[in-house]
Amino acid sequence: MPQRRTFESLPFLALVFTAGLLVPQCAHAQESEVTAGSTDMAVRIDREIAAGYSKHGIEPASLCSDEEFVRRVYLDLAGRIPTVAERVSFIEDVSPDKRLACIDRLLASEDYVQNFTDTFDSILMGRGNRGKVAERQKLWRPYLENVFRNNRPWDQVAREILLARPDSPDQAGAVWYLFERQDNAQAIAEAVAPAFFGIRIDCAQCHDHMIASEIRQQHYWGLVAFFNRSKNQKTDAGPRISESAIGGFSEFANIHGASSPNILTFYASKTVEEPRPEKDAKQEDIDELYQAPLPPNEPRVPKFSRRTKFVDEILSGHPMFAKAFVNRVWAQLMGRGIVHPFDQMDSMHDPSHPELLDGLANDFIASGYDVRNLVRGIVASRAYQLSSIRPQGVDDPALFAWSIERSLTAEQLARSIQIALQQRVENDHPMLPELRERMPDVMPETIVTDVGDTLFLANNPKMHQVILEGSQKDGLIARLALQADPKGAIDDLFIAILGRHPDDAESEAVLEFIQRSGTADSFEGKISRWQNVVWAVLTSAEFRFNH
Amino acid sequence: MRVVKHTETNGRGRHECGSPEHRVHRRLFLQGSMASGLASVASFNGLFSIPALAEETKKQGKKCILLWLCGAPSQFEMWDPKPGTITGGPFGAISTSIPGIQISQLMPRCATIMDKLAVVRSMSTEPNEHFQGVDVLTRGEKPRPPFTRPILGSVVAQQLGQLESPVPQFVLLDPCPEGNEFKSFKAGNWAGWLGAQYGPVRSGGEYSIPDILRPEALSEMDHEDRESLRKFLSRKFENDRRSEAAAGYNAAFERVQGLMSCAPLFDLEKLSQADRQRYGLGAFAQHALQARHLIENGSTFVMVANGMPWDNHVFQHEMHQMLVPELDNVLFQLITDLEQRGMLQDTLVIAMGEFGRTPWLNEARGRDHYSKAWSLAMAGGGIRGGVVVGETDPLGFEVTQNAIDNRRLFATIFKALGIDPKEQYDLPDLPTFHRVEGDAQPIQEILLG
Repeated sequence: MPQRRTFESLPFLALVFTAGLLVPQCAHAQESEVTAGSTDMAVRIDREIAAGYSKHGIEPASLCSDEEFVRRVYLDLAGRIPTVAERVSFIEDVSPDKRLACIDRLLASEDYVQNFTDTFDSILMGRGNRGKVAERQKLWRPYLENVFRNNRPWDQVAREILLARPDSPDQAGAVWYLFERQDNAQAIAEAVAPAFFGIRIDCAQCHDHMIASEIRQQHYWGLVAFFNRSKNQKTDAGPRISESAIGGFSEFANIHGASSPNILTFYASKTVEEPRPEKDAKQEDIDELYQAPLPPNEPRVPKFSRRTKFVDEILSGHPMFAKAFVNRVWAQLMGRGIVHPFDQMDSMHDPSHPELLDGLANDFIASGYDVRNLVRGIVASRAYQLSSIRPQGVDDPALFAWSIERSLTAEQLARSIQIALQQRVENDHPMLPELRERMPDVMPETIVTDVGDTLFLANNPKMHQVILEGSQKDGLIARLALQADPKGAIDDLFIAILGRHPDDAESEAVLEFIQRSGTADSFEGKISRWQNVVWAVLTSAEFRFNH
Repeated sequence: MRVVKHTETNGRGRHECGSPEHRVHRRLFLQGSMASGLASVASFNGLFSIPALAEETKKQGKKCILLWLCGAPSQFEMWDPKPGTITGGPFGAISTSIPGIQISQLMPRCATIMDKLAVVRSMSTEPNEHFQGVDVLTRGEKPRPPFTRPILGSVVAQQLGQLESPVPQFVLLDPCPEGNEFKSFKAGNWAGWLGAQYGPVRSGGEYSIPDILRPEALSEMDHEDRESLRKFLSRKFENDRRSEAAAGYNAAFERVQGLMSCAPLFDLEKLSQADRQRYGLGAFAQHALQARHLIENGSTFVMVANGMPWDNHVFQHEMHQMLVPELDNVLFQLITDLEQRGMLQDTLVIAMGEFGRTPWLNEARGRDHYSKAWSLAMAGGGIRGGVVVGETDPLGFEVTQNAIDNRRLFATIFKALGIDPKEQYDLPDLPTFHRVEGDAQPIQEILLG
């Protein structure tokens, strides 16, 4: 990993940055088998996961069908269900490596960029936007999009976000991570620990973590100290994070009243040496403490910068950094982390497959923190491509013996409803903001459906509006109502929304519903019946989950 | 020993294939008799449109209101004052309607109804952290992963509630979506192995439930109709996959119609202004009043929370000086109201947090977490008033008499509500679990009869 001690080594950074733009390596020799063993990483995954099956004496679920696979992988990578045409072209493709080809096509798509940007936006910033929607959209979102579009190395991204001293306009948005937290060093520390190190430190504010005792109160206040000289500053070039060369020394008290200095240290890391002034000594904020020459439009940089120290000496090479990322992406794609919950990777939460976690983390480091390569390896594995029908007698989700269902996020749901009804997507559909607010969960520890979610789906005017839009020309509902053969229409309905054909019972039930006596046989009458049918399929659990 | 029957769920909260309800709906549906079957339902609008059910549901059986003092209040400023000692803080103690019993001067109104209150001064529990404390004190037992014990409200709703009632049986009123560890706790699985249909209906904030009204363009008939089709398709998926997530999703849909019929119950504006003034205008007070209203109208368990306001690591005395009097008034109004309405004997009121606060102050003049010796209070239901259970040493460090842990507390609560604490759950494929584990004895001194 590059070690950048000072701010001046611009050429080197530029080199690293350019390297990040290169297309990831993906030209492995393909095996003729449809799925497993398609990439080195996938081979590793399947070996370790299969070892778990043997150890527990269980049989995993069978490989999923193409029908299941195409819906699942579109949702995971493109953030939406496939269109009818995309689905058919995949299913009819007879080439043996079509699953990997599909994966690579999606990884290169703009849909992948938008989907991963959505997910990482929620993970890094949370759903609440503290009233700064416009600025976040203007700065932060394009930065993240650029990260995923150009597959930038994750270690570089983390460094840019936490150092927050942009070298180029492309990086300007990275400062928003700290800026939105408005000088609240504790909020920054509490966000940084789970996002970049996979641990929660909130409990350690007042005392050493009571349960995961390796997380010390000193780590909490140490992490805070790395950011407590930082201040938001508005410059002509946009938001920046300045840093003072003095101050930020304090003592924290434990529950017994004993106090300790907030030295620069962190969990599973070293202590950064920093001279500590006498208690009553007054420090002067003089220019000599800052790097010369003072930059004209940028905040000055202290010669001893705590943020620089943090990215160089704590973040860089931290034992949890790669593991935390790998575990989170695994959780995102596999329904739960190798350590679960994915952001509590402490002594209380053992990994289900420790060798796999280490192996994936090492592969990720060796690949140069290549995000796309990691995602590709996981979805190419047989473990990812299992059926979601849980095998009899197998109950432990930590064995990854079947595909664990996951709720569609608000964004995935909004896009998929549009695909189902219109075969196209507007990323800023009016339904989305409300859906985001009402169903904010992204990778929850447990899937819980609140009655509020179902009230939204049943009664919300925007949800109703979407159904009406689908009834207009070219919409699914209009097309169904125009079809002379109801059986064919029912088949189209299931393909468009659920990506599969109906079985006899389902077909019969829908037929009975649309042919019920007492409803007018006018076109409007038909539309109204199909609206109800479409609502019922769109709000069925099968649509709500990725499985 | 009677065994809990779960006709609709198995151990992990899944619906069994071919549950009776599922069969009925499917049959109705496939026979094309759905419209006529729904006609009676479609005829109701507003509250209690099925009068027979409504009258039965109302005022029948035991109920419970849990005033959840999340963050953990200080026993010293409430039920176990130590005036004039180094740990006692600045507030004094006052006499109550029961000679010999004193409580904090911050609780003058409760002092006048001490004969209704049972105070436990000898709570002694293990977890010292919010999340773990909330977990143990709302479920009654330490976690045993991967199994999730249902929360108190879910157990009570399942045992005493009417699942078919349109009125939600377990309601959580909490205006504050935040609240640190309580926020993460709220995001977890509340109903555990009982299944999501016993989870709470959540309301609060602006005191109403969004989207509780049907879209105007949709007829009531269509609204019911399409739901039947949705349910048929969705249940099929749930059963085929044995999917817990789908089971929870479908259970949440089951509540939509009932909840919609109850919209007026959640509208605080419908309550008398005088009552609202009397309880006080804070969210916690307003929700306590709403809890009374819900219980009066057929809910079985209402939990009133307000984020985590009691976690006063900083300026504890100043904070408690605001919080305790509000609670004092709320408890007084609630217990008095219930009594005047003839409901107190059937309604158990509990006021507690997840632990207590330290005898000593920290550097920020806050009291920190303390689970070794703390207090709570109960009234009504099967509880005997005017009793204090247990005691702590003169400085409040240790329990010196009759230590009560979470198991004994839960045994007492269940017993007071007429629920057998020792009963074993009927959970196929799961280890043996009892409603209260071990040989925990209820606190006889505060139980009636």
